[in-house]
Amino acid sequence: MADFELRRPTSVAEAVEHLAEGGLPYCGGTELIPVMQLGLMAPDILVDLKRIEPLGGIREDAAEIVLGARVTHDETAASPLVRRHARVLAEATSRLGNARVRATGTLAGNICFAEPRSDVLTALLALEARVDLRSATDSRTVDVADFVEGPFATVRQEEELLEAIRIPVRASRSSYIRFQPGEYPTVTVAAVQGDGGCRVVVGAVGEIPGVFTFPSAEDVDAAEIAAQVDVTEDLGGREDYKRHVTEVFVRRAMAQLAEGSAA
Amino acid sequence: MSETLVRTTVNGRPVEARIPNRMLLVEFLRDRLGLTGTKVSCGMQVCGACTVFVDERPVSSCGVLACDIDGADVVTVEGLATDDGLTPVQQAFVDCSALQCGFCTPGFVMMCTALLRKTPNPTEEQVAHHLEGNLCRCTGYEPIVEAVMHAAESMSSAESGTRHD
Ligand SMILES: Cc1cc2nc3c(=O)[nH]c(=O)nc-3n(C[C@H](O)[C@H](O)[C@H](O)COP(=O)(O)OP(=O)(O)OC[C@H]3O[C@@H](n4cnc5c(N)ncnc54)[C@H](O)[C@@H]3O)c2cc1C
Repeated sequence: MADFELRRPTSVAEAVEHLAEGGLPYCGGTELIPVMQLGLMAPDILVDLKRIEPLGGIREDAAEIVLGARVTHDETAASPLVRRHARVLAEATSRLGNARVRATGTLAGNICFAEPRSDVLTALLALEARVDLRSATDSRTVDVADFVEGPFATVRQEEELLEAIRIPVRASRSSYIRFQPGEYPTVTVAAVQGDGGCRVVVGAVGEIPGVFTFPSAEDVDAAEIAAQVDVTEDLGGREDYKRHVTEVFVRRAMAQLAEGSAA
Repeated sequence: MSETLVRTTVNGRPVEARIPNRMLLVEFLRDRLGLTGTKVSCGMQVCGACTVFVDERPVSSCGVLACDIDGADVVTVEGLATDDGLTPVQQAFVDCSALQCGFCTPGFVMMCTALLRKTPNPTEEQVAHHLEGNLCRCTGYEPIVEAVMHAAESMSSAESGTRHD
């Protein structure tokens, strides 16, 4: 790993100053450290976000659940607010990766890294979440659907900090299922039925999750989704296999949603 | 080479050191402190052999910067047993022969200890889910799951004041 300078701010204002100077933020380091070890990234300055108290915690604000950038998968999965109003996210964060990744990895780090097989991204797209971005001079809120542009690519500018993730609280029924024979899932499916219709998100089979909307859960066509979803052949399987597991898991997700209780 | 002054406790002992920023936690524990119970195997946070606790959370020390332990409380496998003997989890691994070559054992013991702190009476399914990120190439896992169930039982009977063997 190449040498770097380490900055450890205790406030957001201080952190964004470091980013403006070219610093690279990190929290759990579960993605960043391996990438630096491989030499794929060699930042001159690392900015540790772990000591910034205001980036912690999950709260309800107006009709939204707000998760700070320091919030880990474990904290999310255990949160009564998330379990009640955003169950697909509780399910995703209680099952992804392994227990050590869940103990220190953050949701913010997950979506900023934009790994194509992200469970978090699948769940947040189904929930129509947004993210707050802040730099030394500006701040903006962006839909997660617009935030992630492709594999390992987001619209975040280098000087921007992802400060929080916002999830609208709406009455809905939902389900989340995944198939993970290895370190990352082969397929993830999130389905949310609300007043405005039914959203089905299929992740991990391609470069970016596919979002499909239907007037209601009864209209969801698993075969149609499997035929349309973007798939990339890789160690997770060939194209025909991935379309097949997509169809099977969409069907199972819809069966679970029909059986499940509200939320 | 850039360094950071780090003050931490490792297995209850205060440690103060200047640590190179790019040093990994596992390198610091093994090479600087001589705590070689923590193993390096995959180096990718996948196998669990390098598991230690940082502020009670289990982490893969192969994927954490050593500087990140500044101000934290670190426990390695060497820090589990006391003068009174092995912990219930360690004893259960012995009693259930939950190891063969033993290389993965420190990591498994740490992960199982973490599980029982949060979930004192897990189901076998919960144990298996919690241990998905730990690889053992010898045992076939069954004796390990058995050891955790055993440890949970002996801990809860010790808790309720009844004697156990
Ligand atoms: C073995 C393994 C298995 C995994 N399996 C899964 C899985 O099955 N499903 C899944 O979804 N994920 C999986 N992951 C990914 C895991 O969820 C992420 O590694 C973790 O959540 C990233 O969070 P972090 O805090 O560690 O990020 P870091 O490694 O600290 O940062 C990741 C990236 O995001 C940037 N960043 C971090 N925080 C911010 C911020 N607040 N603002 C701006 N940029 C930021 C960093 O600069 C860096 O580029 C796995 C990871 C590992 C190591």
